[in-house]
Order: sequence, then structure tokens, then C-alpha cells
Amino acid sequence: MPMDKKKVKLRLENISQSYVVNNEVRDAVSNVSIDVYDNEFLVILGPGHCGKSVLLNIIGGLEKPVEGNKYIDGVKFTGSDKRIGMVFQRLALMPWKTVMGNVEFGPRLAGVDKATRRKIAQKYIDLVGLKGFEKAYPHQLSGGMKQRVGIARAYANSPEILLMDEPFGQLDAQTRIVMEEEIQRIWQQEKRTIIFVTNNIEEAVYLGDRIILLSKCPARVKQIYEINLPRPRNTMDPEFLRIRREVSENTDLAL
Amino acid sequence: MSRVKTAAMSSSERKAYYLNRLYMILPVISVLLLLLLWTTASLNSDFPSPVETWNRLIELFERPIKNKTIIGHTLASLTRVFLALAFNWTFGIAFGILIGWNKKCRALFTPLFNAFRAVPPLAWIPLITMWFGIGEFPKALTVIIGSIAAVVVNTQAGLSNVQQIYLDVGTMFNANVRQKLFQIAIPSALDAIFAGVRTSTSAAWMVVLAAEMLGAKSGVGFLITRGMDSMDMPLVLMSMAVIGIVGAMLAVVTQFAERLICPWTRKRSN
Amino acid sequence: MAQNTKTRSNQNNERIALIQKQRKRTQVQNTMLAASGILGFILIWQIAAVSGLVNSRYIAKPLEIVNLFIVKLTDPNPDGAVLGVNVMSSLAVSLSGFGLAVLIGVPLGLFMGWYRGFDSFMRPIFEIIRPIPPVSWIPLTIVWLGIGLKAKAIIVFFAAFVPCLINSYTGIKQTSEVLINVAKTCGASNFTIFRKVGIPSAMTLTFAGIKVAIGNAWATLVAAEMLAASSGLGYMILMGRQFGRVDLVILGIVVIGAIGLVISKLIDMLENKVLGWKKL
Ligand SMILES: Nc1ncnc2c1ncn2[C@@H]1O[C@H](COP(=O)(O)OP(=O)(O)O)[C@@H](O)[C@H]1O
Ligand SMILES: [Mg+2]
Repeated sequence: MPMDKKKVKLRLENISQSYVVNNEVRDAVSNVSIDVYDNEFLVILGPGHCGKSVLLNIIGGLEKPVEGNKYIDGVKFTGSDKRIGMVFQRLALMPWKTVMGNVEFGPRLAGVDKATRRKIAQKYIDLVGLKGFEKAYPHQLSGGMKQRVGIARAYANSPEILLMDEPFGQLDAQTRIVMEEEIQRIWQQEKRTIIFVTNNIEEAVYLGDRIILLSKCPARVKQIYEINLPRPRNTMDPEFLRIRREVSENTDLAL
Repeated sequence: MSRVKTAAMSSSERKAYYLNRLYMILPVISVLLLLLLWTTASLNSDFPSPVETWNRLIELFERPIKNKTIIGHTLASLTRVFLALAFNWTFGIAFGILIGWNKKCRALFTPLFNAFRAVPPLAWIPLITMWFGIGEFPKALTVIIGSIAAVVVNTQAGLSNVQQIYLDVGTMFNANVRQKLFQIAIPSALDAIFAGVRTSTSAAWMVVLAAEMLGAKSGVGFLITRGMDSMDMPLVLMSMAVIGIVGAMLAVVTQFAERLICPWTRKRSN
Repeated sequence: MAQNTKTRSNQNNERIALIQKQRKRTQVQNTMLAASGILGFILIWQIAAVSGLVNSRYIAKPLEIVNLFIVKLTDPNPDGAVLGVNVMSSLAVSLSGFGLAVLIGVPLGLFMGWYRGFDSFMRPIFEIIRPIPPVSWIPLTIVWLGIGLKAKAIIVFFAAFVPCLINSYTGIKQTSEVLINVAKTCGASNFTIFRKVGIPSAMTLTFAGIKVAIGNAWATLVAAEMLAASSGLGYMILMGRQFGRVDLVILGIVVIGAIGLVISKLIDMLENKVLGWKKL
């Protein structure tokens, strides 16, 4: 299926961001233009501290870029938008809320009545495999379970685009592999446009329809890879390994 | 029995076993020593012995002072404390939220509040008694002044230190400012607010005592001064014990309430 | 291209200037707000006093307080001592009680936190003393020691002792297990580890305890001086009330507050000096 036939869901146009630190302007993101296709699993890959979180925060509307425009379905928008949801890098579950309370948080803020939002929340709690843990508090859950809650919470607000900022970065290697399979299953079950940020090359090749490789700080688009391997992918597959090596050799080393 | 148990242990295990035994006995020894010290001291002076003090307590239950038994006096003090705390927990928390959330209000009130806070609560007592006499209101007011700072400071700290990431979650869900305050900032500051509640409770208990010692006709502070004025040392000691016990109980109760209301902090306090 | 970079750097400079200007503006704004908070309070006070809204028996004008402050520097009436003497007397009491509390409380807390046997021996005694508010020691100390410096210092001691002990105890209990193990593998004895590893890592919390302690000491001092003294700031306030001199009472409150502020600022500065390395 040729890419140009696909519908562009989100367009970033010349996004740049810089900060004034100690009376000096420091660039964090430099002139990034990306087209994200509908229901695509897009991975943004880059070394640590290259500006991945900044870029994602800009898409989510948590910060304002100094330059550049954002479009959803061809219509320009600024700031945060209901159609975009986020799974945070540092979990950011509300410790004072139960799993149910966390997942129904978005609908609740939107003023959805209790019965409806419970039903929505329950659906996504089941989807991420946390049935039976509705009444647990985050501190009673393991790292992987917490991140499942984060995913369910983002889904429950029914966004069209999901941003995920290194969601598995803090997990141990075993749990990470499980969660990578899980996120793929969830995405295949409930198709959304996912923009998934990571600094892990294997994770990128395992998950992405496409990989956008960023340079080291300030972040620029260095290369775009299309991965046409069938899912679920086999990490020992020679083609997988070939792509992985190709991406590796092109990746900047983090300082 | 214990020989059978210890026989199966390695030497280091046995050592740990006996040490644990020792650690369990030592507290008993120290309390006994304290009582012994107290008794010897009382033998050589007119200081009351533990037995005399204990008898005085029994008497306190049976023979009221100023129409109140010891329970009545304790309740009188507790009433003052709770009136003041009820005020503080509403207005103190509200004020703390205001200056914690709104930077302009913080800038406006912080220096004034710090100046107020720098004055020890008990220093207000003479001024308050000049203004309002020695009835119930001035006492409650003294306790309010003495314990409101803890509530305000903790609430303010809790609200101004809300983690940005929680507010970001709100932004992602299109929360408005009011929702961010009531659904995110205040709940996330609840444990800090509770720290203020706990501190204010123990502060209030201390201040009510001082206020009563400086002029009252009921309450545990009154009992202490009464004991001193009539050279009734057992009464003084007994009142101190009651004050200590009630203070400790208040601490336990507030802690329990915190666990009930904020179950998610349970892990951190363990 | 060269021109492009030049406009770019111009833009950057403008942005930096703008941010600096904004920062300055908020700073000025905050100072103004702070000042207007204090001034507003004094203004309301002045209005209440001048307008007769509040009977002059109950309130003194702000300026009168300043006036009295100057007079009181040299005039011992009505409480029998000039201001300087009262201040010195109060400081002497609170500092000796506080000093004693630090000297006894901190080492006790450190030892209790490190040696379990000592802990289980001392613990019950401490738990008996801890919940008893310091002011309730006043009658006993009066009986034992009269109403001199010693009696008041003991009362202050009780107020300052508890936070010193608790914080140094908690501090040394939180010593990192890893550091202790490292020291053990280096062959250090338990006492050496206590000195070289335990005590340094307890310092931050200990200092926090000392800060609370000095606040407690100053606050309790007032009570001690009102209930058992013949000099000092607390005594001066009490005399002010007895002579119906509201101005003297207010002056006393202001001076006590001001000294309290200075003390806590001094402790902050000291803490920054001593624990500066922690902040890095
Ligand atoms: N608000 C900010 N102020 C100043 N510098 C920032 C800010 N946010 C991010 N940066 C800087 O931008 C760079 C990129 O950060 P980030 O996007 O978090 O990296 P990562 O790719 O690891 O997610 C970092 O060097 C960081 O210090
Ligand atoms: Mg990041």
C-alpha cells in the first residue's frame, strides 16, 4: 500500500522550539516537519535529551513552539486539543485516585455523567487487561500495571491521536517486552493514530509502521524509515536485524 | 522450651536471639528504674511518691474541683481546642489555598503573614485578655492564633508545590482552571494539608494549656496552676500525666483520620 | 546566509531582553504587593486608632509604638528594666535552654538511632516526656528551682529538646545501607562507621530539627517569662497588661516577633553555609 494514498491525520510544519537559559538562547527542536498518517503507528526515535519530549509536548499543547504550525485533518489548531491524548513518560497517575478514578478522569472533567463514564472506563480497563484492579491505588500496582492504567486513561478520553512519551522507559527488560506486545495488541484492537517516542532502537523497529529518526539536540528530522515487516515481528528475523543495524549506524550517540 | 529452640540455632542466630530478648526487657528495666528514682527522691523530700500521685488521681475522679472531675476539666479544654480547630481547618485551609494557588495573593500576604507568624502564640495572650477579658472567646481566639500558622503554611506549601506533570494531565484533558484547582491541585496537596492538621492539633493542645494557666476557671491548665497555688504536687503531676496522655491520643486520632481520608498515603507512612 | 544568521542573533537578543524585562517587572510587582500588604495593615491599624473606632485604652497608634521603643531604650518604667536589659535577659534564657537541648538532644538522638540496646533502654523514658507540653513543666520547675534563669532555661530546654532528638534519630536511621556496607567491607569498626558515615548523613535532618528547636525555644520562652519571671520580654508584656499599658504590650509583641525573625534568618544563613554541599 503506497503511503501517499494514506490520509494525513496530523501535520507538523516547521516546528521549532528554543529556551532562554542563563541569558542564552538554546535550541531544542529545529525546523521539524512531519506528516502523520491516519491510524499509523509512528515511532519517533532519538538519543536522550535530544528534544523528543519537547516535540511531543508541543503536539499535545503543553508548550507553545516559537515557530511552526500544527494541523489536524488539514485544519490548523493551537494549544491542547480534545482529539489528542497523552501517555506520560513519568506515569503521572494521580496517587490519590484508584485505577477506576484515574481512568475515568478525562470523561469526568468533560462532564460525562457517572454511569456513562464508568462504562467507558470499564471498557478500557478491560482492554488493557486490568479487570479486577479497579479499586486498587497506583502504589499497589507494579510498573507495568501502572503504565497499563496510563494507557487506559488516555484511551478513555477517546482521542484520535495518542502521544506516548517513552512509556516503557522505566520498566525492567522483561516487563518491557510484554508491554510492547500489549501496546501492539491494544492498538490493533482499537485503532488510533499513535505517536510513540523512544530512545530504544529495537523497540522502534519492533513497533513502528514508520520510524522518524531525530538528530541529537537540537532535534531535526534525520531520516525516515518505513518498516513493512508483518506483525507480530520476530526480533531474530534477518530482515528485522538488517533494519535494526541500518538504523543503529545512522543514530547519533547521546552525550 | 527455649533451650530446645536455641539448640537448633547456629551461634550467630543464638546471639541474635538473646539480643532480641534483651531489647525486649530493657524498656521494662528503664521504666522500673525511673519509678525507683522517683520513689527514692520522694523519700528524702516533700515531693510526692508514685503511690501518692496515683491516689490523688482516684480522688480526682471522686472529688471534683470547681464542680468538675478530671474528665470534666479535660472536656473543657478539648472543647476550646476543637472550637478553635474547626475555625482553623476551614479558614486556615482556605487562606492557605488562596496564597498557595494565586501568586499575586502570595506576594501580597506572605510578608505580613510571616511577621504575624514570627510572634510566638503565647505572646498574644496579654493583648487578647486586655481586649476581650478572660471568657471563652478570648481563649478560643488564643488557640486559633496559636495553631492557624501550621495549617496555612502546610496548605500553602502543598498547593504551590503541585507537580507540574499532574497539571499537564489536566491540560491534556482540557481541564479549566477551576477543575485544575479542585480536581488536581487540592487533592494532590491533601497529604500536606493533613500534615498541617496534625501539627495544628498538637499546637492547639499546647496553647490551650498555656492560656488556661494564665487565667481560667476550668480546664487541665487550670488544674496545674491550682495544684501549684495550693502546693498540691500530686495534682500537678497528675495533670501533667493527663495532659500528656490526651496529647498523645490526639496525635493518634489525627493520624488515624488521615489514613481513613487519604488511604493512598498509607504506603509512604509505613 | 551571513545576513540570515545576523537577523537570527538579533532576534535572540531581543527575546532575551524581553524575558529579562518581564522578570524584572514581576519582581517589582511582587515587591510592591508585599509592601502594600504591610502598609495596608499599618494603615488599617492607624485608622482604627485615630478614628476612635477602637477605644484608645485598647489600641495605640503605630507611631506611638515607635516612640515608646525609643523611650524604652533608656527608661526602665513601668516594668523595672530598659528594653536592652529585657532583650538580653530573654536571649540569655532561650539560648542557654536551646544550647543545652542541642548538646544533649542531638547526641542522644544519634546514639539511640545507632545502638539498638541504648534505644530500647531510653525509648520509654523519651516517650513519656515527649507528649507533655513544655509549659506544663513550669510549676514543677518553679518548685524545684524558683523563678530564676535556671528554671526558665529548663522549660525552654524541654521545648527544644524533642525536635533535636527526633530529627537526629530519624536522620541517622536513614543512613544509606550501601554506604554502611561499603564502610564495613573496608574493615571499619561499628563506632568508626557511626562517626564517619552515620553522623554526616544525619546532618541535614538534624539541622532541620535544630531550626524547629530554636523556634520552639523562642516561643516557649515567652510563656516561661509570663509565668515565672521578674524580667525579660514576656515579663514586660505581662506588666504592660497589669498597668493597662497597651502600647507596652504591643511593643513587646513587635520586639519578640522581630527577634524571632532575625534568629530564623540567621539559622537559614548558617544552614546554607554548613550544608551548602548538599544543595549541589
Ligand atoms: N522548559 C525548558 N527550559 C529549558 N530547557 C529545556 C526545557 N525543556 C526542555 N529543555 C531542554 O531541551 C532538551 C531536550 O529535552 P527533552 O525533550 O526532555 O529530551 P528527551 O529527548 O530526552 O525527551 C534538553 O537539553 C532540555 O534540557
Ligand atoms: Mg523525554
